[in-house]
Order: sequence, then structure tokens, then C-alpha cells
Amino acid sequence: MAAQAEAAAQATGGETYIQHGSHIDTIESVDMVFRAQRKLSFTYGAIFFAVTLAIPALSGVWEAWYAEPIWGGFTANYLFVSLLYYVFLWTMAWTYSKKADKLDEDLMYMAEEIEAKFRAEHADELDEEV
Amino acid sequence: MNTIAIVLVIGLVLFTIGLSILSRRFTRTTADFYLAGRKVGSFSNASAISGDYLSAASFLGVAAAVYASGLDGVWYAAGFAGGFMVVVLFIASALRRFGEYTVADFAFGRFGTDRIRLVTVVGVLLTSMFYMAPQMYGAGTTWSILVGRGFLGMSAYNTGVVVVAAVMMFYVAMGGMKGTTLNQVFQFWWLNFATILLVVFIFGSGFSYPQALADASADTLVNAKTVTVADLTADDGAMLAKAEGAMTAEGFANVEAAIAAGDETAKVDVVLPQVNKLHELRDMVFVEPGHRYNKLDQFSMVLALVLGTAGLPHILNRYYTNPSGSAARRSTFWVLILIGMFYIMAPIIGLAGRELIANAVADGSAPTAANYVDGLLVTASQIMPMMGQIIGGQWLLGIVSAGAFAAMFSTIGGLLIASASAVGHDVYEKYINPNATEKQRVFFAKSAVIVFAFVALGIGLGIPASGLNTAYPAIIAMMVTWAFAFGAGTFVPMLLTGIWWKGTTEKGAIAGMIVGGGGSLLIILLNILKTLGVLTAGGLLGFLGDMTYPTVFTFPAALLTIIVISKMDGQLPKNVDHIWMRIHGTAHERYEREHGLDKVGGMFGGAPKGASK
Repeated sequence: MAAQAEAAAQATGGETYIQHGSHIDTIESVDMVFRAQRKLSFTYGAIFFAVTLAIPALSGVWEAWYAEPIWGGFTANYLFVSLLYYVFLWTMAWTYSKKADKLDEDLMYMAEEIEAKFRAEHADELDEEV
Repeated sequence: MNTIAIVLVIGLVLFTIGLSILSRRFTRTTADFYLAGRKVGSFSNASAISGDYLSAASFLGVAAAVYASGLDGVWYAAGFAGGFMVVVLFIASALRRFGEYTVADFAFGRFGTDRIRLVTVVGVLLTSMFYMAPQMYGAGTTWSILVGRGFLGMSAYNTGVVVVAAVMMFYVAMGGMKGTTLNQVFQFWWLNFATILLVVFIFGSGFSYPQALADASADTLVNAKTVTVADLTADDGAMLAKAEGAMTAEGFANVEAAIAAGDETAKVDVVLPQVNKLHELRDMVFVEPGHRYNKLDQFSMVLALVLGTAGLPHILNRYYTNPSGSAARRSTFWVLILIGMFYIMAPIIGLAGRELIANAVADGSAPTAANYVDGLLVTASQIMPMMGQIIGGQWLLGIVSAGAFAAMFSTIGGLLIASASAVGHDVYEKYINPNATEKQRVFFAKSAVIVFAFVALGIGLGIPASGLNTAYPAIIAMMVTWAFAFGAGTFVPMLLTGIWWKGTTEKGAIAGMIVGGGGSLLIILLNILKTLGVLTAGGLLGFLGDMTYPTVFTFPAALLTIIVISKMDGQLPKNVDHIWMRIHGTAHERYEREHGLDKVGGMFGGAPKGASK
């Protein structure tokens, strides 16, 4: 697969592109995909690390969090780390995966639009099928 | 010797070997051997990743860590699970889109030099060996409990290590990634079944989670420890006085008898009150943090666990087996569900052990294969099989013991594949014999598996001689976390910047890997030396030696090194745009979708379902 991608990578009129069959990635379309994915991943990443690192931070300073029972012997700290943290992870992973899939779909259409524009501009130089 | 347990374990081994023999017919190419033909479906892959991931550290170690440490032990479970969020958010999809076989391939493809490929190979081998050590130790200890005797003049522990190494050598070399994947799926569900049964039996015995937690936290946390008479009576008997305050009169009478015998080197089991390292003025109780970690270590431990997963080569390799980037994300979601269920259950077993084991010791029904003092297990790592026998008798002990071996087999299998691919694919195929035929490549890969199985054997046999197993209270979970810390320092900064920052250069990436990996090794070594009593220095060495996990320093240091060196260097690969398009481009996926190649195929060959002819 990698060999196929490299073999199909070419430069045309000063622009670089990768061709897989009849599909083309240009640096313009890839940068668009990259920026959108980066925004999504880093937004979710910030939430994940904020929540995850808040737990030991609260354990160091907030007695009501780590020492006061709220349900039987459960403190808020123990309840979160042993049970609720997983609900948080599942929710994050589910919503992220759905959004990333949706983003992929949207970006593929946009990439195809960029590809069509690129193809029109470089029709003479492109392979029909690699 | 437990006949039912041994029969179940032998059954597991035979089934494992059978699957490998079945897979052998479908392992003809290196893509089959290393990547199962890249056609493993999301749920199958999630089960296999979970099997790969849930090692002896998770199956035996998490419940043991909770039993010994309360909340700080629960963090092992939460952190191990949280690590997959980093994988799904930042790495899984990009790694799969980039293609290739291994992490070293990614480093070479992204930065373009043989030098970085070889540095990565060294890192992969070190991480795998770090991770292998606790699996082999788990093999020896589980065999000791299960069979209780050695063969051919070996101790029970050594026999367990040899048997597991031999089985793994055979089944991984025989089945490759396909056989290993099938086995990991089966082994995951077996160990999950064993855990569910344990929890069902625990709740069936009238266990109330909130009430048990309140009961366990009513008094100062105490743990059993094996010490020499000399250590016990040193410092004007400071430790002895603590033991007297924490032990029952009957238990302490045994300690006094050992002292009266006059042998300073004699070992004696005592119970000691535990100290709160986080809030030094508070009593250490089960439900509160602070048994293992001070303020800095709380953060370092969390970072090591959540970042370390993304630095484990045997886990990352599995992402190449997905048919698409989207499937890689779906796999990770399912992994989080599957291992989350397990990690919710394991701490329940650890907590329940505090009460149920004490009750069993009191009424004389506790298994004789373990040592106890005042109702506490002396070796916390024995809690899973002991709980199996106490609450479910011989059958449940057998199912749990087979689960422990399943956990070890599945993880060691993944590690052997990762190690073999590091030297087989990344070194042999690239440098030693680039013109090798497919048959020669597969033969070398299988030979590498056998060599690394022998290395694993040596590591397993060497652990008791090092004294590490008595120096740390839950050594299995501890050693795995060292692997996490090393992976987090070595690979994760390189992968994150390589995927998300185009300006990363080869020199920056190598410098970051050396700073992160070397720093992790140094701090872990200092911690071991300090724990063993070899390092007594104060100052900076003493401070670093007190750190259980280095990640809070090594990860940012490696990241910063990559950024600074890359900025100074500025030598990007000439084809950086092409590389960028391979990591983030979608043309390949659009092509695969158009031709139906993104569909999951049969694990035993055949065209993917829905693929166009």
C-alpha cells in the first residue's frame, strides 16, 4: 500500500499530488483535512486531559473530594476513578468517533471537489488509472 | 496440586496450539505473519487488542494493587483504560492511513533515514522486554499456586516460566499474527468470563460495594510484609513496635518466637500500618489516595498510564491490521468498552478480598497454597486465584487460573510478534537480506520469535534472583508501568509530533527519543536501586530515585527537545508534502471504498465481503 502511494506521488506544474486509482490528494485538500482533524482531536484531547489531570489535582487539595463519603464508603474521588471515569471515556470515544467519521465523510466530498478542480487544471498530465 | 485447574489449563494450551495449527495454513506471506492480511474487523480486532492489552499485570496485578493500596491501586485500572483515549484521538487513524507494518516503519517513512529506524527498533525491543518481564514472573507465580511443584529438578516457579515460554514459542512461530489474533480473541473472552464469574460469586455472597468500602476504610490501612529479623529489630525496634501495634496478639507471638530463635537472617511475615504519602498528617485509609504516590507521583503516574498505551509497539502494531482509519477508531471504541468492563470489575475483587480472605483464614477454609498473616495475603499478586478458590472452590480456581494463563499467553504473543517484526521486518528485510524471498522472510520471522522466547525465558528466571519481587508490594503491575513510562517517553512524543507537526525533523525526533527513553531508563533504574537499598544518596539522585514514574519529566522534556532541535535543524525531508499526504490524505480510502477494499475479509483468507471483483 505504501509502495503504491509513493509510486503514484507526482509533481505537476509545481504542485504535488498523490493518486490512488482515479482518486487524487493534493496538498491543498490534505491541509484542509489535516486542519479539521487537528481541531477535532485537540479539542477532545484538551477535555480528556483536563478531566483526567483534575482528578489527582483535586486529590491533593480538596478534602470533600477525597475524604468525605457520599454513598456508603464511596468518596467522590473513589466513585469517579472506579466507575464514572469509564462512562466519561465511553462517551468521549463514542462522540469523537462519530464526529470523526462525519468529518471524514464531509472532507471526502470537499476533497473530491478540490480534486475535480485540480483534474480540470491538469487534465493533460494525469494518469487515467494507477 | 489442583487437578481440575490443571486440566483446564492444559485444555487452554491445547486449544491455543490447535488454533495456531489451523492458522498456519493461511500464513504464507509476511503481511499474513505480521498483520493477519490487514483484514481484521473492528470487533474482532477490539477483542484481540483487549486480549493483547490485558496482561498478567491487569488480570493478576490490578486486583492485587487495589487489595494492597486501595484507591491508588484503582488508578492502575483507570489509567490503563484512559490510555486508549490518547490512541483514538491522536494516533490510531493516522497510523493506519500511513500503512506499513511497524512503528519503526512509521519512523522511517516519516523522517526518511535508516538511523531513526534503528533507534526505533532498539526502543521497541526495550519496551517489549520491559513488558515481557512481568508476564513471565506472573507465569512462574501462577504455576506455583496452581501446580505447587516443579519438574526436572526445577522449582515450581522456574517450571512455570519454562512451560509458558515453550508454549508461546510454539504457538506464535506456528500461527503468526493470524494465529495470535485468533488466540487473543479467545483468550480475552476466557479471562473476561473468569472475571465476571468471580464478581458474580462475590455479589452472590452478599457483598455490598459501598458497605465493603466503608468497612475497609474504617481503620488505618495495613499490609503484610516479609522482612528479616535484623531489619525488624533495627533502629531500636521501630518497625517491630509498629508491627506490634498493628498485629493481633496471636500473630505477633509468632514474630516474637522468630526473634527469640536468634537467627538475624531469618525471614518473618509481619503486618505494618501504611503511611499516607499524599497527606502526611492524615491516616492512610483504603478509600483515600496516598498509599503509593506523593503529590508529584500522582500526576506522573496518571501521565505514565494514559500516555504509555500509545507507546506500546505491540498495541500500535495491531492498528495496522484494521482495514481502514475509520475501522481503527471503531476498534478503539470497542476496546474501551471491553477493557472498561474488566477494569470496573477488577477493583471489586481487590476490595472484596480484604474481607473474604480474612474470613476464610479465620474459619480455616483459606487455600494452603498461599501464606497469610493476620488474615492478610503475604503476596498480594495471588489474590485472583485465591479468591477463585475461596468463593467458588476448585472449579472457579481452575477457570481463574486458566484466565491468568490466557492473559499471559495473549500478551506474550503480541510482544513476540512485535519483537520479531522489529528485527525481522525492520532489520533483516531492510538491511541484512533485502532480496530475501517471501519464504526466507517468514522463516526469519519465526526464528526471531524463537530467539525472543528464549530471551523472555531468561528474564523470567532472573527476576527472583534480582530481589525485585520482594522489594515492591505489587511487582507485576509495577513492572508493566515501567514499560508504559518508557514507551511514553520514547515513542509518544515522536509519534505525536510526527503526525501533527509538519516541521518535525529527523534529528529532532531522534534527540527526543533519546532524551525521553534515556531519561525514563535512568529514573527507573535509580528508583530500583533506591528501593533495593543500593542507592542511599540524597540530592538530585535521591530525588529522582524517589520518583516511581518518570513521565512527568521525561514526556515534556522529550517533546521540548523535539521542538527545539527541529527548529534549530530545519532539515525537513525533501518529500515532506508527499509524506504529509500519506498521513492525512483520503484518496487512498476513497479508492478502497470505491473498490470495496475497506471491507473486512475472512480471517482465513478469501475476498472481503462486498469487494468488487
